[in-house]
Amino acid sequence: MGRLIMTVDDSASMREMVRATLVGAGYEVVEAVDGQEALDYARENPCDLVISDVNMPRMDGITLVHELRSLPHYRLTPLLLLTTESSAEKKLEGKRAGATGWIVKPFNPEQLLATMARVL
Amino acid sequence: MTAHKRNSATGRHRVFVEHSVGATQGGLHVLPPALPQFAHVGRFWDREHHCFSAKLLPGEYYVTTTGEQIATVLGSCVSACVRDRRTGIGGMNHFMLPQDASKGTSAWGSTVSAATRYGNVAMERLINDILKLGSSRDSLEVKLVGGGRVLGASAIDIGARNIDFVRKYVADEGFMVAGEDLGDMYPRKVQYSPATGRLRVKKLNAVRNNTLFERERNYLEVLEKEPVGNDIELF
Repeated sequence: MGRLIMTVDDSASMREMVRATLVGAGYEVVEAVDGQEALDYARENPCDLVISDVNMPRMDGITLVHELRSLPHYRLTPLLLLTTESSAEKKLEGKRAGATGWIVKPFNPEQLLATMARVL
Repeated sequence: MTAHKRNSATGRHRVFVEHSVGATQGGLHVLPPALPQFAHVGRFWDREHHCFSAKLLPGEYYVTTTGEQIATVLGSCVSACVRDRRTGIGGMNHFMLPQDASKGTSAWGSTVSAATRYGNVAMERLINDILKLGSSRDSLEVKLVGGGRVLGASAIDIGARNIDFVRKYVADEGFMVAGEDLGDMYPRKVQYSPATGRLRVKKLNAVRNNTLFERERNYLEVLEKEPVGNDIELF
């Protein structure tokens, strides 16, 4: 039985790339198109790990991380931010919100999987 | 002519004197401030269209809120021109895909190839910067240009790969394509005005564009050497 990973991105192409990478490695994947949809899902359902974009409509990834950390069943869940943003200030915001790690796009599939394996 | 004051706080307003229209008519043009992430992009006063124009090199992109034009010259590279139909805020990129060989991603096929991942980011950076200025995805209008088979005899049609990628990307993302000028044998000089959505394309004579080919080749070489995706930080 594969672990359940939620991928959150407003870009359909990016969701597809992450999904293809994870499914190929034996994970189960659930997708959300923005932070709000991800949070709505997470309130009712636990996941083993969340990979989220930062810049999204309705709710951005940093707010999502902050909101997820206030849910008892997401307090210890690895939350990775996967984004085109690479500035130190943004990374610090992510860290303060409670993110587990920060990955700058374009991602390398092998390294994404290795990073997930480390934090799972 | 109106005197223009320099904005000393930002230091970004610069005063340009136009000499072109005859000595008696030299006017002052104030370069509008660029968004901070585009401070490095070269801009000049376009005498023909009476506006400032940002000039893109391969791998660059630019977004404007001030009615500027964005110009570039494309061989086998492609540009996506993206604007918000309601506000006229928009921009353009200029990119090509690296070759896939030796990137070691064959296990995932073309969906997650280094080329696709690189192209995705080139598109996403442009789109995100427009969305950050208050647009929504469904109000964006896209035009596509470039991807010429400019090295006619070459075995690999680099332009066609770039075209296939960018067409698939905009289709997957569900963007409205308002126009395209892709393929063919010619390099193109392009000028895009996000405020109006107008895209001017001038086909150039291929044999006279060694500088262009040189520039694209150098860009491709840099892409091939660059690792795609190495920036990971665990907190």
